[in-house]
Amino acid sequence: MKPGGKCPTEDSEEPERRQTEAPFSFTPQLVRLHKDHELFEDGDIHRHMYLQDLYISQEDEPTTSVSEFACHISGCSAVFSALEEYEHHYNSLHRHVCCSCRRSLPSARLLDIHIQEWHDSLFTVLAQRQDMYQCLVEGCGHKFRTSDHRKEHLIRIHKYPPDFRFDKPKKDRGTRETKRPPHKDIAMEEVGDVCESEGVCEVMCDVLSEQPEPGESMETVVEEAAAHLTKAAAAGEDAGLSAAVHSKECLNTETLKPQYSYRVPSTVCFGRGSIRGFRGQRGRRK
Amino acid sequence: MWRLNRVRHKAGRQGGSSEEARLKRREHEKALRQARRDRQLVSKRLLLNEDEEQPEVTMDTMSGEQDVVSLLYKLQHSGPERETHLRALSNTLRGPSAQLSFIKQENSMHLLVSLLTGSNAQCRLHAVRCLHELSHSPHTNVAPACLPATPYLLTYLSGQSTKFTELCLYTLGNLFPDSDIVKEKLLAQGIIPALANCLENQRHNLSVVEAVGFTLSQLLQAKDAAEKIIPQVLASSLPTQLLSVLTPDQNFGLAPAIECAWCLHYLACSSEDNRELLARGALLQCSSLLLSLGDAVAEGKKEEGMELLVCPVLRCVGNLLSLCPVDSLSTQVGDVRLAAAVCVLLQAYPHTQPALARESAWVLNNLTAASSDFCSALLSLNLVPGLIQLLPFSQGINTMVLRVLANIAHKKKEFCVQLAQLGLVSTLCATLKMADQEMVTLSLEVLFMLVLSTQQVADEFVRLGGVSLLEAIQYNSEGEMRRRAAYLLEHHLLTHSSDLTVDNVP
Repeated sequence: MKPGGKCPTEDSEEPERRQTEAPFSFTPQLVRLHKDHELFEDGDIHRHMYLQDLYISQEDEPTTSVSEFACHISGCSAVFSALEEYEHHYNSLHRHVCCSCRRSLPSARLLDIHIQEWHDSLFTVLAQRQDMYQCLVEGCGHKFRTSDHRKEHLIRIHKYPPDFRFDKPKKDRGTRETKRPPHKDIAMEEVGDVCESEGVCEVMCDVLSEQPEPGESMETVVEEAAAHLTKAAAAGEDAGLSAAVHSKECLNTETLKPQYSYRVPSTVCFGRGSIRGFRGQRGRRK
Repeated sequence: MWRLNRVRHKAGRQGGSSEEARLKRREHEKALRQARRDRQLVSKRLLLNEDEEQPEVTMDTMSGEQDVVSLLYKLQHSGPERETHLRALSNTLRGPSAQLSFIKQENSMHLLVSLLTGSNAQCRLHAVRCLHELSHSPHTNVAPACLPATPYLLTYLSGQSTKFTELCLYTLGNLFPDSDIVKEKLLAQGIIPALANCLENQRHNLSVVEAVGFTLSQLLQAKDAAEKIIPQVLASSLPTQLLSVLTPDQNFGLAPAIECAWCLHYLACSSEDNRELLARGALLQCSSLLLSLGDAVAEGKKEEGMELLVCPVLRCVGNLLSLCPVDSLSTQVGDVRLAAAVCVLLQAYPHTQPALARESAWVLNNLTAASSDFCSALLSLNLVPGLIQLLPFSQGINTMVLRVLANIAHKKKEFCVQLAQLGLVSTLCATLKMADQEMVTLSLEVLFMLVLSTQQVADEFVRLGGVSLLEAIQYNSEGEMRRRAAYLLEHHLLTHSSDLTVDNVP
């Protein structure tokens, strides 16, 4: 996205014109309340309790309540009582979003790797001739020819669990991504491109993990995924490196290699199960 | 203070079963809330006997009913012992089934009226006490049965005996809401002029004033009050009288002022045309009262029950402001320190009485929406930091407070600059994350106004991580929020920000 690409002038040359275009509508308003208005309810009740001899000075019954915070990402219904919780939630689960496929990665580095491996055609070209697949562990530095090799390395050297969800090899049909402008004004519903394979990003769906769908074809799944994306229309949820939602399914799909699943889960979960998913998955694998 | 003193005794006695009492109160409160939703919130008052500290729990048994019958018989046939019998009757009539039994007896009301108007003063007193007990009945068919007595009760309002007049007043106030027939008759019999006269003549007698206030408030809460009652009241001397009572008496306490304030509230909020009230200086009077109440609270002299007075006065000011022509605002309201008083009230109650805090915030909204003077007063009197601290409180408090801040920002760019200097930008970073959609949308509006005022705001916002916050909002399911966030990002924030996550895209 080119910042400022839409707006020709940045500064206050034509403030009125811009203001009439701007979607802001606040004006100070005098508010008049009739006697039965709901804002008056508590005061009226207090008054009538007094009339009926039931008045008690309120010192001992504090009824204050504080606003909650809530995650903005559509589909994520997380609510928090403290600001720090919000920050933690957002930073853990909704940062580092791949703007092509909307997947969310747990760290900037993994986002980089994801983008490189899945959205960079140069990578595909280079990978045919040299070791391009980086080890996911920070500081390791090793590179591998294929993602299989990397996976083996991760299991053997870094003791990753064998049913860990690794990136899958690219399919022959190639990725279906389009170069959409990553900034979305309103049309969140237009998400059409989906990473067909998981790569480093994991898409969590608690619900789905209970219902393996062995016989599904690739197209259906992807379409469903796209459909669900249009519904949810938010940053892709990501459980990071702790995988194994679909570990069972992986093993069950006949048409595909046992360790991997080429399928995109039919529901892309954008957060409903995200918190649980992210942490819960680690627990589940035991 | 009449009412509250009584209650304190009550509360003291129930020390042991306070949990029970609390539960009962809560049940009662629930019932009242439902009644309000059904537009049927009505209360009656019972004036206790001199020797009573709290309403005795009557044994509402068959014997009560039998007592009524036998007492009535005795009353018809006795001579000098009438007083005793009458007194006994009034005690018996505390019980609801006795009340029903009474009105079923033939000629019972006729007898009572004759005693009410007879030559024996003590009998008159006991008779009116009987009527008072009847008026307090939970059964709505008792009130129409009392109609024969009402013309006399009204006449007696111009009498001089305090206790008697009080009893007449509370009885009328209790009877009025019970049935339409009673309402019609009482209005036709001239209850409004009678109340006006009584108030004028007994202005010095504060317990009578309190009683008039109560009775009038019963009239003013009627559903059709706007057509049938309020015009007449506004045309009478009552509004002026009520206004003159507003200042609480040092010795007598808050009670009369409370009643009169509630009357004024009902007048102010239901009449479309407040010119009458404004012309009588209602806004001025209420504002200056609010000022002194605010001052009292600020000095730590928060009297028990004060919120019962603060509430209706706030409401009067709030509604009168909404109809006051802007050019006369300064004469009507006068002192801009009113803003400080309202802020004091706002900050005194968010924990214990959030409703009162909410209503104070509403008044502030009307003050700041109407006048730029009040906006600048809030800034110059250094009241804004206190307002900012209220932004965490929900239940409608923070949305109203944010509205106030938005009103200020809307007036002038200089105000925006000052608001930003007071730390509003970082607060907005928090309010933008709230669950309440109105808070978020308002925050975006305020942010927009601040950003337009000066580049520093945009810089500060970006520095505080605002860009990713707005980006998150772009994923929100509400279009209103997304549009505003997107606009801010595109037109104001991303032109100079280097803090983009999306820059990673090759």
